[in-house]
This record gives sequence, C-alpha cells and structure tokens, in this order.
Amino acid sequence: MNLKETLKVLLGGSLFFAVSILLLYVLSGFGDRPRLADDGAKRQILHIANGSEPSGIDTHLTTGVTEHAIQMALTEGLVSEDPVNLDPVPGIAHSWDTSEDGTVYTFHLRDALWSNGDPITAQDFVLSFKRALSPKLGNEYTYMLYYLVNGEAFFKGEVEFNEVGAKALDDKTLQLTINEPTPFFLSLLNHHSWYPVHVATVLENGDLDSRSNKWAREDTFVGNGPFVIDEWKVNNVFSVRKNPLYWDADRVKLQGIRFYPLESLDTEERAFRAGQVHKTDKLPLPKIPFYIERNDPNLLLAPYLGSYHYSINTTRPPFNDKRVRQALSLSIDRESIVKNVSRAGEQAAYSIVPPDCAGYTPRQLFEKDIVKAQRLLAEAGFPGGEGFPEFNILYNTLESHKSIAEAIQQMWRKNLGIDVGLENQEWKVYLTSKMNMDYDIARYGWIGDYVDPTTFLGLYTSYSGNNNSGWGSQEYDDLLAKAAKAKSLEERMEYFHQAEKILADESPFIPIYYYMSSYLLDSRIKGWYPNLLDHHPYKYVYFEE
Amino acid sequence: MSEAANNQKNEVIDLAHVEKGSSLWSDSWRRLSKNHLAVGGGFLLLAIAIVCVLGIWIGQSHEEQNLSLGPTAPSSDHWLGTDMLGRDMLARILFGGRISLLVGLVATFVSLVIGVIYGTVSGYIGGKVDSVMMRIVDILYTIPFIIFVILLMVFFGRNLVLIFVAIGAVEWLTMARIVRGQVLSIKNEEFIEAAQALGLSRMRIIFRHIIPNVIGPVIVYATLTVPSVMLLEAVLSFLGLGVQAPATSWGALIKEGADAMEEYPWMLLFPGGALAITLFCLNFLGDGLRDALDVRRSKD
Repeated sequence: MNLKETLKVLLGGSLFFAVSILLLYVLSGFGDRPRLADDGAKRQILHIANGSEPSGIDTHLTTGVTEHAIQMALTEGLVSEDPVNLDPVPGIAHSWDTSEDGTVYTFHLRDALWSNGDPITAQDFVLSFKRALSPKLGNEYTYMLYYLVNGEAFFKGEVEFNEVGAKALDDKTLQLTINEPTPFFLSLLNHHSWYPVHVATVLENGDLDSRSNKWAREDTFVGNGPFVIDEWKVNNVFSVRKNPLYWDADRVKLQGIRFYPLESLDTEERAFRAGQVHKTDKLPLPKIPFYIERNDPNLLLAPYLGSYHYSINTTRPPFNDKRVRQALSLSIDRESIVKNVSRAGEQAAYSIVPPDCAGYTPRQLFEKDIVKAQRLLAEAGFPGGEGFPEFNILYNTLESHKSIAEAIQQMWRKNLGIDVGLENQEWKVYLTSKMNMDYDIARYGWIGDYVDPTTFLGLYTSYSGNNNSGWGSQEYDDLLAKAAKAKSLEERMEYFHQAEKILADESPFIPIYYYMSSYLLDSRIKGWYPNLLDHHPYKYVYFEE
Repeated sequence: MSEAANNQKNEVIDLAHVEKGSSLWSDSWRRLSKNHLAVGGGFLLLAIAIVCVLGIWIGQSHEEQNLSLGPTAPSSDHWLGTDMLGRDMLARILFGGRISLLVGLVATFVSLVIGVIYGTVSGYIGGKVDSVMMRIVDILYTIPFIIFVILLMVFFGRNLVLIFVAIGAVEWLTMARIVRGQVLSIKNEEFIEAAQALGLSRMRIIFRHIIPNVIGPVIVYATLTVPSVMLLEAVLSFLGLGVQAPATSWGALIKEGADAMEEYPWMLLFPGGALAITLFCLNFLGDGLRDALDVRRSKD
C-alpha cells in the first residue's frame, strides 16, 4: 500500500463513519420510545428507581431502605403514619386505648382482610410478634420488640411466650404491655419489624421461625397492604398492583407501582430524563450542583434522618485497640467531604444521632485532630503507620460510596501513613458480609426507623442485631435503659449525652455525615411530602388528572 | 544408505536457498515497511507506551487528591483537567495506560503461548488425543467468565497478576482452535512429510516446521485479542474485580468519565481518545502484519 492509497482509505473510512453516525442520529429522532412516565401518569402507575434488587420481602428478615420501600406497599401494621408529619394514624387498628400509666395499649382491630380474603385477627399479630422474637429466626431487628414486657427474656429463652406482653383478648382486640411508658411507642409500631405476617401461609411453607422458609415469594406471599404483588422479576422489576381487598382501597388512587433495581445512580438519572421513571433513589454526585444551580423543579432536597458512617469490626486486630479506631476517626476531614464530595448540603457528623432529632442535639465531642491521631496510632504500636496490616473498606456498589471511600483512603494515607484497599460488593452480598462480620471497615448508612434518638443510639447496644461492629458495653446499655425510665425530658437527654460520650471514646464506628435526601421526583406526583424519614405512604400518592 | 540421505538433505536446503534468495522474515519485513499505515500505527503505539511508562516521572501524581479544587476543565496547571476528586487527568491517563497496555500485552502473550502450543499439539498428533484435547476446550468454553474470575478471587485474593491469568486462561481457547485448524490444513503438506521421512522428532517438527507456518493468522488474531482483553479488563474493573482505587486503568477512567460526561466532558474525552487511538494502531498494525506474513501470498 502506498501513501496515496492509505490516505484514500483513511478519508473514505472517516467519511463513511461520519455519514453513518449522522444517519443513526436522524433515524433515532423518529420513533421515540414510549415514555413510561407519561403513560404511568395517565394510568396512575408509579415507576420508581429503587436502588438495588431487594434482598427479600419477609418483614422480619429485612433491614434495608430498598426493601422497606416495597414492604410499605404490601403490608400494614396496627398503625399507619400521616404522610406529612409522620404522626401515627389508624392502620389495621381503627382505635386504641392507653392505660393511665402509659404501659398498656389496647388495640381495636377493624374488619380488614388479608390479600387472600382471610380476616386479619389479633392472633395473627401475636403470632407474628412471637415469630419476630424467636431466637431461631435470627431477626436483626429483634430488639425493636424488647419494649414488650418479657420480650427480651423470651428471646433469651428465659420465659415462655405466654408471659410476653402481647395478648389477643378476642379476635379483634389486641393488648400490648410495655416495660416503660414510651412516648414514641405508636410510631414504633409502624416499623416493619412490628408488621404482621399471614401465619397460615408461613406455616404452609415451613416452620414459623425458620429463616429458610420461602413463603415470601412472588406466588405465595400474602399481605394486607394497599398493594399486592403483580410480578417479581429478579434484577428487572418488582411490580405491585392495587389490592381491591384493602380496607381503605377507596383512598388508594394509584393502580400500581413498579420498582426497578438499577444499581447505578447515573442509569437512574438518565432513566428519569428519558421519562422512564418518576422517582430516583439518589442523584449522582457530579450532577447535584448543576441541578441545585438551575433550581430544577424535579429535584427534591430535604433533611433526611440518617447517619452515614463506617462501622469498624472491633474483633479484628488492630481494630480491637480503641486508639487505632480513634486515630482513624480523628484524621478524617468531614467538612471537606460534605463540601467537595457529597455536595448535597449534608452536615458533617461527629456522632451518630442527627441534630435536632426529636428535640435532642448531640454535643460535638471531638474534631479533626491529625496530631492527636498520629500520636494515638504511635501509642498503639504503629508510628507513622509503619507495620499497619492490610485492610479494606467494604461498600455496596455505588459511585457515590466509591468517591467517599477514595477520599478517605487518601486522607488516611496522607495523615496516618496507612494504606487501605477498597472492596465493593453487590447489595445482598454486602449485607451478608456485614452481618457475618466478614469485613474490616464497612460503609454503613443508618436511617432512623422513627423520630427519636433511640433509633440511632439503640443501633450500637450489645443486643442490637444490626450492630455488626462486635463492640458492646454494659455501661452503654445501662445508660439507655436508664434513659427509657427517665422521669423528665432533661434527664433523658442527659443520659443520651453520656451514652454518646462512650461512643466517641470507644469509636466502634466512624461518623462521616448526616444524610440529605437528594433525588428526582416527577413534579406531576401529588401527595408526596418531604419528611425526615423519607416515608411516603403510597395510599396518599397520586397523579394529578 | 545414510550417506545418501545426508547428501539429499544438503541438496534440498541448498536448492531452497537458491530459490529464495532472501529469507521469509526479511521478505515479510520488506512488505511491512511498505505499508505506511501499519508502520505509522506501530510507531505511534510504541510512542504511547513510552510516554505512559515515562509518565511516572512527570510531576503530577495519579492519586494526589485536591478535594477543594474538584473537577476543573483543562488548564495550564492541569493539561487535561482534573477529575471529581481533583486529581490530575493526564497523570491518571498515563498511569491507566500502563495498566491497560500491560494487561493487554501480558494477557495476550499468555493466551498466545498456551493456545499455540495446545492447538499445534492437538492438531498435529490428531486421532484420540485430538478429540480429548478439543473436548477439554469445549468444556472450558462453557464456564462463564465472570463466575470463573470470582472463583479465582475467592481462592487467590485480588491482585493484578490474577487478572492476567484469568483473562489469558479464557482467551487461549479461541486461539487453540484457530491454530488447530491451521495445523490440520498444513500437516499433510510435502515439507512436513519430508521432515517426517527424515526422522525428525515430533517436538522438532512442531516447533521448527509447523509453528512458523501458522504464525501469520496467529499474529493477526493476537493483535485483535489485545483490544478485547483491554475491554475485558475494563469490565472487570467496573465489577470491582479488576484494578482497585487509587490505581486505575483506561477502562475504569472511561467508566468514571461516562458518569459525568455531560457535566465534565473532558473526563470521558481524553481517556476515551487514548483507548481509541491505541486500538486503531493495533488494528492497523495487525492488518499490516497479516499481509506481510502471509506465506502463500505471491511474492512482490
């Protein structure tokens, strides 16, 4: 081939390339893809990009926000919540009485039905609580039911279930007896660990307290919520349709909801712009400033009651030394992370409870102090990071977690001379690794289950199934128990402050920031009110005609 | 008798020498050097490799973050801009290039060595051995690549060498099949029969007479393997099985850039351009080599 021929080939090639691109571009203009969002708005079908594939829908075995978004559609507890201020409103119970001392609640159940037509009875709830508390099931949220008299004792096998404070007085009357008067008890009942399960279905598929029971599948699941399962295609879509047997079906305007596990914030954002979904999980980090700047009507930015932190596996050396844990925590520049990496207006966190949580604001117990961090590390036997063993930060696959982990990786390297690797796992695998404590340091996002500091402080009690740090302290547990018995609000807060002092000193986790909700929401959606827990009961959600 | 055979052999070699006048390799080289596209591609490839390797000594570091700077467009400080965490893109592209080129070349080399030897032995020996060896290849083909890599990771932990092994171990299968086909077509040619008649050992026939004759298609296939291997590495990195931060590769950089391509186009444009140019060069070079090494092509 000579030079002339070569040039000819090159020129011809690029010309062909350009023409075909142009042709593709022109052709793609015709025949637009149908916009699911427009179709959904017309037919009252909500399309939600829901982060990851749900690990399951068994209400006693899940812990994630992803799963909760689906469970809210399928199941309802004794009480439900107001879509604006999250106050408890009647759910399956149409009314309730409280004893004078505030420890006995009597619920009067309405004539509601399960999705297979069976009536919902008080016994269903009692057996569901028994299931939730049974030690064999391995429910991570068992401690949520410790408020019941003898709940903890039953879990530990010290008493029989008939001594637990949950009794069915008759088919439609349920009596719950709790240890201490608990102002937020009714809100607690709206958490999925207090949801009922259809006992007959569970028993058909195995033991009531067997973790491997496969009753919560597409074709077997029976719920009592405003929606029923339509179709569950793994890694594709989880689709629900309106439940005609739901007691409040007249109020439900949506005909169905589709949850898509997209696993990528960018895919979600593009799907939103292409009119394929109505709501995304979270806006990708690079895009946040641009959306804020142009005041996008679809952007929803709101404080979100949650703590983004790194849980430390305190059973593995060298993390069993609290000086190492403190050093890691002290050497992170949180202000820089929220300002330059996460960028949605999050607040840097130095404790686990977000500020102004039901009137409680934690004190800042430490600040970034690299000199002290280096000294502590040296005292622990790793001067300048020398000889520090290899370890990894574990996070579930998501670009934003990666960016934050990379920033922290660099801070530790620069400030402490420690090299850390990054390891990402798919959501279900990540949850399993975390639960089995098969990690060194794991990214942990903890969203409040109800608006009270105990939803955060309870996480690191030694009896919490969601505490995957291996750390526990009797003193800390006692302080929370004392807070529960406190006579005044001030006394209660003071116990919380003391408890947080222990957390700051022991550092079983590294707080990073307090969440902000930052996602895209189709502006045609009504009945979706920004709130602290980012809970949006679907029965109030609709599209404007 | 043996005396006569020796004489004959010398004669054959002499005749061949006279007929050719120049060796196979120098012929090929002559043909290649006339192909400007291929030569240009080769030089550019070499230049890219040198720049990537020398890149370590260029002031900026690929992992030095400047969080408050954030993503900035190309400027005199950062010629190709910076990424989300304020890292210099030029330094990252050069570093990524080293990983990508290394993976591309080493993994291809691994697959080349295994594939050529396996395919030649299988094709040349034939019969039952051939059947068994090819059925093994069929079985290996059925193993899903990603699951295979995850298995390897579970047993050996995660590191760069593993990527080479994993990719090489998968890519050699196709190579083995191609080579076996080539060998089948030439093993009954007269020069092989001659070598057999002369009593050469199997090993010697395979390495001295067969492999040099199948090298043409092999080299072409190898140059096509390099780009596909580089893409595989990108897939693995994306899944979290490949190189880990702060190390990076072109595949990983392109993934990051694609996420932010509307806001910060330079994050996609430059690593994408680097990969595209490299792949073009490899294809031109491969194309040229095929023409140059084709022994059956009539001589110019």
